[in-house]
Amino acid sequence: MAEKFLFILLPYLSAAVFLIGVLYRFWVWGRTPVPLRIVSTPAPRTRGGVIWRLIGDALWFPSLFKGDRFLWAAGLAFHILLWLVLLRHLRYFLYPIPGWVEGIQTPGLYAGYLVSIPLALLLARRLVDEKALYISILGDYFSLFLLLAITISGTLLGVFFRTYLVEVKAYALGLIHFNPAVPQAHWLFELHFFLVMALLAYFPFSKLMHSGGLFWSPTLNQRANFETQFVNPWDFPVAYNPRNLWPPEKYQQELAESKEGKKE
Amino acid sequence: MKVPIPIPRIKIGASQRLRCHPCKEKDMAKIDLPRERAKDWKEVMLKKMAEVLDKYRSVRLFMDICVKCGACADKCQFFLGTGDPKNMPVARADLFRKVYKRYFTLGGKIWGRANEAEELTESVLQDWYTYFYQCSECRRCSVFCPYGIDTAEITIAAREVMAAAGIATKYVTEVVAKVYDTGNNLGIWPLAWKDNCSFLEEDLKDTEGLDLKFPVDEVGAEILLVPPSADNFVNTNTMIGYAKMFHAAGISWTTSTYCNEGGNFGLFLNYANLKKTNNRILEAARDLKVKKIYWGE
Repeated sequence: MAEKFLFILLPYLSAAVFLIGVLYRFWVWGRTPVPLRIVSTPAPRTRGGVIWRLIGDALWFPSLFKGDRFLWAAGLAFHILLWLVLLRHLRYFLYPIPGWVEGIQTPGLYAGYLVSIPLALLLARRLVDEKALYISILGDYFSLFLLLAITISGTLLGVFFRTYLVEVKAYALGLIHFNPAVPQAHWLFELHFFLVMALLAYFPFSKLMHSGGLFWSPTLNQRANFETQFVNPWDFPVAYNPRNLWPPEKYQQELAESKEGKKE
Repeated sequence: MKVPIPIPRIKIGASQRLRCHPCKEKDMAKIDLPRERAKDWKEVMLKKMAEVLDKYRSVRLFMDICVKCGACADKCQFFLGTGDPKNMPVARADLFRKVYKRYFTLGGKIWGRANEAEELTESVLQDWYTYFYQCSECRRCSVFCPYGIDTAEITIAAREVMAAAGIATKYVTEVVAKVYDTGNNLGIWPLAWKDNCSFLEEDLKDTEGLDLKFPVDEVGAEILLVPPSADNFVNTNTMIGYAKMFHAAGISWTTSTYCNEGGNFGLFLNYANLKKTNNRILEAARDLKVKKIYWGE
């Protein structure tokens, strides 16, 4: 019963929460207007420049490089290794396996062994740096521990407590063809799989949304095209206040009322 | 030579008592805001917060995507100066974020404090008033944030929310009120502005023997000059410089007593006053039928 829930129901549930949650977030951000041009300097002037800037921000984190070298190195290492691991896992879902997935099998394996290290460093940084410790909340630790549990269980699964991979692949293929069958029981694989499903379901409610949110950020995706007028969609007219204008008659009146204007 | 800035140890509550003077009733009336803190301030603020979240993608997005990496923490001059942890940009934004979580997200409604969500209480409001007025909206943090999170946007949003409930500082509201009264931040009345200009004319004649004009409110001039008002009051050499430059270039120019200040304190208060303060530059230009606006600040 529990296995049926874990392997048949939960994957689709988590995937649905993930997809709907992420799309809902995108929809909320997309429908909210950008009233002002608030692009951060140095700002690109062309659309191509904006695309280049976003690619750079997504791939090698130049802002972090400027601010905090250790955080940049640990963060970048974690993200690159995680991408390798994710792409390597494609081999369980594709049949036949494309050449490039075969090609990253070995780097992907090593990435899987190594990815826990930057994660542990990031966790240590949160605990050692008093500023980071002050701002960290439960959600930050939860994400880190969840990812650590996933990477460590995955490593153990690949090295010490091996599962029967043919069975796993048959299950994964069944999953994406909407015809899943419960695979052979293996406690560590069950744990690994459950944690990944938990991460998927947690994703749209958490700070992990930074991955998609980056591209919506108005300080990054705007252009510095100051020669064209920027229109605020919800702009409203402000009251013109003639009381504040100073026509000549008002000067005369002011002057008459002032000290200097009064005749002795 | 590059001198590294020492990063202070955090001192909780170090700048908690450094608070701006509260606004005065007479100023608030002039800038279309409640004269005193609304009785139902909480409801007013939450309503305004919902409005702001629906009007500014920046605020909504920055609430959702901050990962609390702390890259901005030691980049804020207010943190470097005071060591108060709530002056770290991320912690400053968190003051807003925890209220956002409590009232506008599912996680915060369900998990409450475990998700760092907090009710909008008097002490939260006091923190808002203290720390959102210890931000100069310089946007330095946004340069170092990997997602470009701009704490100035959140500060602007929080001040807009507070202003709606009649909570603001004297320094800001007084200056904006002065702009509507006198046309500039310093509160130089039109007669005084005219007087200063004719004084400069005489002064220039006496000292340098130059016969230059400092035109005020001249309809049909080519250029409307919007200087910082201090130029006609303290830094008069700059004002003389303008006159010399325009004279040498042979361009007719004028200043306006309706609008003789380019600095905009509406930015530190709310959108309506920001727009009004800027709009008066256009109003003055149309009124004086100038062709161009030169605007320094």
